[in-house]
Amino acid sequence: MTDTTLSLALVLYALAGFAGVAAFRRARAWRAGQPARVDWVAGLRALPRRYLVDVHHVVGRDPFTARMHALTAGGLLAGSLLVLLSPLPGLGGSRLFWGVVALLFAAMLAGGAMVRRRRVPVTPPRLSRGRFAFLPLLLIGYAAGALLVALDGASGGWLWPLGWLGLWLAAAAGLGLVNQIERGPMRHVVAGALHLAAHPRPGRFEGRRETALAPLDLDAPRLGTETPADFAWNRLLGFDACIQCGRCEVACPAFAAGQPLNPKKLIQDLVATLEPGGSNAAYAGSPYPHARPVAGRGGPDQPIIGREAMIHPDTLWSCTTCRACVEECPMMIEHVDAIVSLRRHQTLELGAVPEKAAPALAELRYADDAQGRPLAARTDFAAGTPLPLIAARGEAEILLWLGEGAYDMRHGRSLRALLKLLHLAKVDVAVLGPEERDCGDLARRLGDEATFQRLARENVATLARYRFARILTADPHALHVLRNEYPAFGGHYEVVHHTAFLDELVAAGRLAPGALALAGVTYHDPCYLGRYNGEVDAPRRLLDRLGLDRVEMARHGRRSMCCGGGGGAPLSDVEGETRIPDLRMEQAKATGAGIVAVACPQCTAMLEGVTGDRPEVRDIAELVLMAVEAAPARPTRQPEPVA
Amino acid sequence: MIANADALLKPLTIKGLTIRNRVMSTSHAPGYGKDGKPQERYQLYHAEKAKGGIGLTMFGGSSSVAIDSPAAPWAQISVADDSVIPHFQRFAERVHAHGAKLMIQLTHMGRRTKWDTENWFPTISASPRREPASRTIPREMDRNDIRRVVKSFADAVRRCKEGGLDGCEVSAAHGHLIDQFWSPSVNQRGDEYGGSLENRMRFGREVLEAMREAAGPDYVIGMRMSGDEMIADGLSHEDCVAIAADYVKAGLVDFLNVLGGQARDHISHAISLPNMSFPVAPFLFLPSAIKREVDVPIFHAQRVTDLATGARAVAEGHVDMIAMTRAHIADPHLVNKLIEGRDDDIRQCVGAGYCIDRIYVGGDALCIQNGATGREAFMPHVIPPAPVKRKAVVVGAGPGGLEAARVLAERGHAVVLFEKADKVGGQINIAAKATWREALSGIPRWLHAQVLKKGVDLRLGTEATAESILAEAPDVVILATGGAPIKGYAKGAEHVVTTWDVLTGAVEPTGTVLLYDEIGGHNAASTAEVLAKRGCLVEMATHDRMIAEEVGTTNQPVHLRELYKLGVVMSPNMELIEVYPEGNRLIAALRNTMTEAEEERVVDRVVADYGVLPVDGLFRDLRARSANDGETDLDALVAGTPQPALGKGGFALFRIGDAWSGRNIHAAIYDALRLCKDI
Repeated sequence: MTDTTLSLALVLYALAGFAGVAAFRRARAWRAGQPARVDWVAGLRALPRRYLVDVHHVVGRDPFTARMHALTAGGLLAGSLLVLLSPLPGLGGSRLFWGVVALLFAAMLAGGAMVRRRRVPVTPPRLSRGRFAFLPLLLIGYAAGALLVALDGASGGWLWPLGWLGLWLAAAAGLGLVNQIERGPMRHVVAGALHLAAHPRPGRFEGRRETALAPLDLDAPRLGTETPADFAWNRLLGFDACIQCGRCEVACPAFAAGQPLNPKKLIQDLVATLEPGGSNAAYAGSPYPHARPVAGRGGPDQPIIGREAMIHPDTLWSCTTCRACVEECPMMIEHVDAIVSLRRHQTLELGAVPEKAAPALAELRYADDAQGRPLAARTDFAAGTPLPLIAARGEAEILLWLGEGAYDMRHGRSLRALLKLLHLAKVDVAVLGPEERDCGDLARRLGDEATFQRLARENVATLARYRFARILTADPHALHVLRNEYPAFGGHYEVVHHTAFLDELVAAGRLAPGALALAGVTYHDPCYLGRYNGEVDAPRRLLDRLGLDRVEMARHGRRSMCCGGGGGAPLSDVEGETRIPDLRMEQAKATGAGIVAVACPQCTAMLEGVTGDRPEVRDIAELVLMAVEAAPARPTRQPEPVA
Repeated sequence: MIANADALLKPLTIKGLTIRNRVMSTSHAPGYGKDGKPQERYQLYHAEKAKGGIGLTMFGGSSSVAIDSPAAPWAQISVADDSVIPHFQRFAERVHAHGAKLMIQLTHMGRRTKWDTENWFPTISASPRREPASRTIPREMDRNDIRRVVKSFADAVRRCKEGGLDGCEVSAAHGHLIDQFWSPSVNQRGDEYGGSLENRMRFGREVLEAMREAAGPDYVIGMRMSGDEMIADGLSHEDCVAIAADYVKAGLVDFLNVLGGQARDHISHAISLPNMSFPVAPFLFLPSAIKREVDVPIFHAQRVTDLATGARAVAEGHVDMIAMTRAHIADPHLVNKLIEGRDDDIRQCVGAGYCIDRIYVGGDALCIQNGATGREAFMPHVIPPAPVKRKAVVVGAGPGGLEAARVLAERGHAVVLFEKADKVGGQINIAAKATWREALSGIPRWLHAQVLKKGVDLRLGTEATAESILAEAPDVVILATGGAPIKGYAKGAEHVVTTWDVLTGAVEPTGTVLLYDEIGGHNAASTAEVLAKRGCLVEMATHDRMIAEEVGTTNQPVHLRELYKLGVVMSPNMELIEVYPEGNRLIAALRNTMTEAEEERVVDRVVADYGVLPVDGLFRDLRARSANDGETDLDALVAGTPQPALGKGGFALFRIGDAWSGRNIHAAIYDALRLCKDI
């Protein structure tokens, strides 16, 4: 070993020590949180895979950033690790070994340059400034310094002047990076790795969507989250994993509409509350649009929400729970869980719900419907068409869950189309009729967990009285609740969305649609179907079976944009610059399509509410019915062979 | 979206019969009956409403249960024997296929019919009191008559049930036999069927009891009745409430279909079928009052022309079903348009009364603004796209030109519509200036919105010329240039001004005015009202036997009422023979058409209506250059096949409406629809 390489190793041991201290100090903040059950063994064993596959799957959506991160992080970690190992006998003396180290730091240097390149000539708005503006210089300095030392080592000491220069550079920049662990961007390195190991939804790394909210213990002394200390500790850890890349900000529909929500800022506000006397002053990214004035102060035992606290209630209630931020987050942070947990406290403990949400929740409590309508009126839309009640027969192959949309005139049209198709396909279908209560989605997203749980238990009890093979619904919100959230209450059902079911019927030859000659169609994925349940293929396959000229919006599939209708947002009705559905409709219009195909009553209502010259809104069931009615009379097709 | 739409779209269940929404059409006699049966035309007319989303359609206004209540007079339906049952079955199938329910009205007309038709039986009633409207003096019914008619009702309801109809109502309104027994204005009997209200209700009770006996407890049987006869010696509102409460309490009826007034003479008839001079839903208070007293569903019709009014009536609890009968004649698809969020596309009834007025002169019901109603077998309510897309130029945006442009655009053609005025509407704009005729403006308002929606290139304030038309390189040119009024044929006609001059304001007469009418339509009568309201001393003379002779029974009494109120002197059987100035006044010479005696009037103005003659300048310019010499192939028009001149190179030239020959609004719209649907 040369003097320079040995010194570098010693410097890195010192830096590692400092880093350990910094990480430990930060870990005290996470310990303020509630205990959580974490399978450390499985988590740590899965960590490399979670990091290299799952994280990079998200990061890789932006190839430049993926390369940047692979080079920087890979070079930093691998290069530094090798240097730390260099005192081992037989390693540090090898010129080849130092050649490899030099290559790794050269890679990191390239990565650091790319980090800098992103901010030249103008820093994109989604990126934070402040400490983040300084980060590329530290990365470049550390990489360049370590590279020089490694080159010196590889040359056998010939380049000793450069080696010493590099050592000082690496030490200084390295110290700078370590200094960023407790409060700066480098915190994400430590917290991110631990967060991936201790993630509260480990199923997300095993190919499951795992989007169900966890039930709240209604007998707990405090309901929901009031202070940071009410969060589970690994949630706090998760907030610290944020690197402020701003992908959530770009994806957030409320942010786009100028409502006072920016998921990135929200996470940073939560981070800021982890320290006693915490302040949001250091945050240097995009603010909440039209931010409502708040004190911007907090601490582990201070309330988070409130004008005198860190986050304004309007920010909390702007969220549509669309999970676009979660879907985009490379660190797999669970923004929506945090928002709902905060809402639970506001609703259940403080009764501080948005003005228009209060009567809806009251009606749900007393009448099992958000507008207090008689449950028997849910089937009014179908008057004149046969719609058997399951109570009259006890069983049916398919139980059709009508959902809240059935009360709505517009969605009633979609449901009538669906019923007609089911009738044509001779599906054995029945409904609960007056026994169907609200599924509880609205209550749950608005934080009224008590009402949700009551509705869930009562619906589960009702469903337990009947025999059916599957539940069919045209409402992705009901689908999500029934499929993913009722199991916690003992209700385990096979739930199928009407687009998937119609697709089955067409594939099986039970429906024979003709070709529709319509102006192009673009499909708008409902969040609760696409993102929450990963179902993006069946609706498209079905549309393609109708011979439609289908075009995609830039944002589609799991990365689709919300219509603005979820999470009780239409009731919260937080003022912004524009409306989310207007933005989404603009995107649909930009495709040149004459029809926006939808598959959710909320999406239908929100998009139909867009005024002016725009594509027409049609539920996929309506399009299928049009195609079936357009088909020349002929015997039904032979079933397709099963793939 | 209208307010309270959800109230209209709630189902209503009557005894296990679920009606899918609260919008219905009441029983009426469109004059489509054939041999006393509801056949193809009649069935398709109602099936169209069913297709259009209506909840309940009731047919067969005044369908007779007995052979001494003849079905012939208004081409009505006879339920007096079993031969009608297969027709009912086919009818029910057609309506049920679209999810709607179908019911019929059963009645015995009593004195309110003719004796000199069909079987030449005397008319019968509670007492031998003549009805002015039917002009018959009935024979007083004895016990045998009562027993026979009661049995006829029972037999008839069995036929309805066997025919698959979802229910029926008995008519005890408009002065039919049951309410002839009720009403002290007719019933002067001294036996147990006359005298006290209790006694006067006896016949109706026996009828309903017999029907219930025959039809069983589950069959829906309702009753149409007045909520107030509104005549001095008739049933008061309190009487009607008492009757309703009594019959409902006895479990005799499953619904009540309540209206205001009765129909024993011209003006009461006009009031019970309110035209555009009435506000919308003028008698809604009557069913509302009865609904407070009874617990069966209440239906109501009477000038509910728009869904918003209907929705309010239901949402506020005045009625359970709102009947929009004439509204469905104007647009049989109005419920679906509401459901589909296309309520802006609803062609709204303007209350012209054209449909009903035609029936009372022995014609068939046709809509003034919808050429397809009653012609469902061969005229489409929804225009299908054309196989070949063409370039069309339409000249004139009156009702005919607008309808032509609308239909052509629906067919997918590129349409240019020239209109020299700065607004659409043509002659309707003039007619609508006359007092209560204002609602006519609804006709072009809807057409205007439709042509804009369908992308017609509408060029207002642009007078078409042969050159500007040819510059469009059209395949089809349709001239809807309308007509222009003429001053007539009297000597000195140059001193005459027309009704147009008065209504447009070109001339503002003062002092004494002689209005001479050779047409007998709305034009002169409404102009007389305008003149009198402006303070002129008006005498209205006409060649006809009476004023406004051509105007139908629901409109003419309103004209007469207004003219009487305004002190207009009405001089029928007069012909204008000469007009000449004398000093600064005019002398008008009139000759009595019966006696040939001549009279003179000294007046300040002579206004005349001799109708219009075609505006045909453009036609003369274009005719020689067209592929068809401007000739419409009448056989193709009637056969519903494309005009042979189409696609033969050059352009085909057609005239429609008054540009072809001066007639009326329906003629212009029908000319346009039947020509353009095949282009």
